[in-house]
Amino acid sequence: MQIKPILAALRRHKAGTILIALQIALTLAIVCNALFIVHERVDRVNRPTGMDESNVIAVQNRYVGSPPNFVPLVKTDVQALRSIPGVESAYATNSYPLRQGGWSTGIQTKPDGTKDGVPTALYFGDEQTLKTLGVRLIAGRNFNAGEVVTVQPQQTPSPPQVIVTKAIVDKLFPNGDGLGKTIYLSKGKPSTIIGVVEKLTVPWTDFDHLDNVTIMPVIFNSGYQHFLVRTRPGEQDAVFKAIPKTLYGVNRMRVLPEKYGVRTYDMVRSRAYEADRGMAILMSVVCGVLLAITAAGIVGLSSFWVGQRRKQIGVRRALGARRSDILSYFMTENFLIALAGVVLGVVLAVGLSQWMFTHFEMKRLSFTYVLVGVVVLLGLGQAAVFAPALRASKVSPVEATRSV
Amino acid sequence: MLKMTHLAKVYRTEVVETYALRDFNIDVKEGEFVAVTGPSGSGKTTFLTIAGLLETFTGGHYHLDGVEVSQLDDNARSRIRNEKIGFIFQAFNLIPDLNVFDNVEVPLRYRGMKAAERKQRIMDALERVGLASRAKHYPAELSGGQQQRVAIARALAGSPRLLLADEPTGNLDTQMARGVMELLEEIHREGATIVMVTHDPELAARAQRNVHVIDGQVVDLAEEPRFHAHAHLANS
Repeated sequence: MQIKPILAALRRHKAGTILIALQIALTLAIVCNALFIVHERVDRVNRPTGMDESNVIAVQNRYVGSPPNFVPLVKTDVQALRSIPGVESAYATNSYPLRQGGWSTGIQTKPDGTKDGVPTALYFGDEQTLKTLGVRLIAGRNFNAGEVVTVQPQQTPSPPQVIVTKAIVDKLFPNGDGLGKTIYLSKGKPSTIIGVVEKLTVPWTDFDHLDNVTIMPVIFNSGYQHFLVRTRPGEQDAVFKAIPKTLYGVNRMRVLPEKYGVRTYDMVRSRAYEADRGMAILMSVVCGVLLAITAAGIVGLSSFWVGQRRKQIGVRRALGARRSDILSYFMTENFLIALAGVVLGVVLAVGLSQWMFTHFEMKRLSFTYVLVGVVVLLGLGQAAVFAPALRASKVSPVEATRSV
Repeated sequence: MLKMTHLAKVYRTEVVETYALRDFNIDVKEGEFVAVTGPSGSGKTTFLTIAGLLETFTGGHYHLDGVEVSQLDDNARSRIRNEKIGFIFQAFNLIPDLNVFDNVEVPLRYRGMKAAERKQRIMDALERVGLASRAKHYPAELSGGQQQRVAIARALAGSPRLLLADEPTGNLDTQMARGVMELLEEIHREGATIVMVTHDPELAARAQRNVHVIDGQVVDLAEEPRFHAHAHLANS
């Protein structure tokens, strides 16, 4: 290998060498962290809700006017939705996973109402809720129609029966004996855990306790209602179109917002993670641009050096260098510069990650990303220098006899 | 050692063919010191680049050390340049980024020689040209004469069968030129075959044999004294 003379030559071209190495180092530091953020966002976007999201349609409904009791209207709408051909089940609720709005409270195991309980999101529903959500009941039973109670706007909902997620049971009753236990969602009003579902997430994507959900057999006396509808496979499109027609047919005194009135669950998920997706795209573009600029820098400097050293290349060829020797000279030279750059880049990447961890509560950069970044940057360097190096290898030995 | 027979070199463009060498014949025996002279544009540098396998030729035959070189591929030509030929250029052609030691080392590295042997050969060659003490200096820190001595050391380090010198004193003042010429003569006395291209009649006179080139053809001065006078006037 001709590493020693290459290093000796690079020492005589410090400015260009240091600039490219720094560019590679900065690119590595930024790209590693950016790709880590992209991966985290993609993970979030694909995070499961615990539901079987296919064939579920979400409806957002606002009744117009001020009738004394909305409950009959809600019940009529639920019946109408259930009667649409292709519908498997439907129910009215206050919220659902990824809705980005809903209710939460703290669950206590003591009746005195102290606020040191486990945080939970509250979902209203009925006997068709579990079926519509497609969640798995792992212990206990479902609600029956007779257990559904009405809750007024000023009331804190605390029905006698609730179904909770496994995450809540595990936290409240670590011994695994939560089924049948009493919990308190409001002071002095006991609720019995009659069922446990494997997993169901809260409505918010940034909530710390993502899997803490309590489902209640409640119909809420409010003009603002959400309906979830499960269709039979292959019927989603037809039901999607039929829902507004059906609901307006039952009662025209309502508003189904044009954009978010009726949505498939893909649309719900897409809307919930819009910002994450945007950030992932932005970071990917930044990575792409940075890598392209770095590659262009390497191509530019290598081409300049090849042009500058044309006579020197001719002399080397005259002294016995094969084309492959010249190619390998420039490839090795770039590799050494890139290596210096990635070593510095690793330090910068870890430093940047530590800084973001300290100041923005972000996760620490996984070393896998640093390794991938190192391989990508070294590979990019070799790819970028290949064309100029190939051009150099084609310089004729007769260049040695030409005057400059 | 070096034999060219009816050799031709033609540069072709879309509209014109230019003969740099035409029916070029030369035979340099082992151990000879031959000076190739001729006016500018006569083809003597073209001869040297073909002799050194830096360029291909268009027709004829060229045997170097008994090998017909016209059919050799690029790698084989590189290997012959590296192992059998030592070049001394008018402009020295040292690599400015490398010090004297590393410059002399360049052809030895391409030969794949072990580091210890390389070092021995480099120091021997530098001793030979009187520059062992300047091994760590860069070319820019040396005089023209010293740079040419380094170039000669580089050519000698690989123990070539043939030394090709292209106007080796062309960029040097009289005193330095004399020193370099004496060094070449010494190398020749030790048995090296040297072919030197020059337009300086004084230098040419110090060679064993002069070959004059005019319009891409060789004219033996011993047989054509008129050309000698003509060339002398043209270059004076």
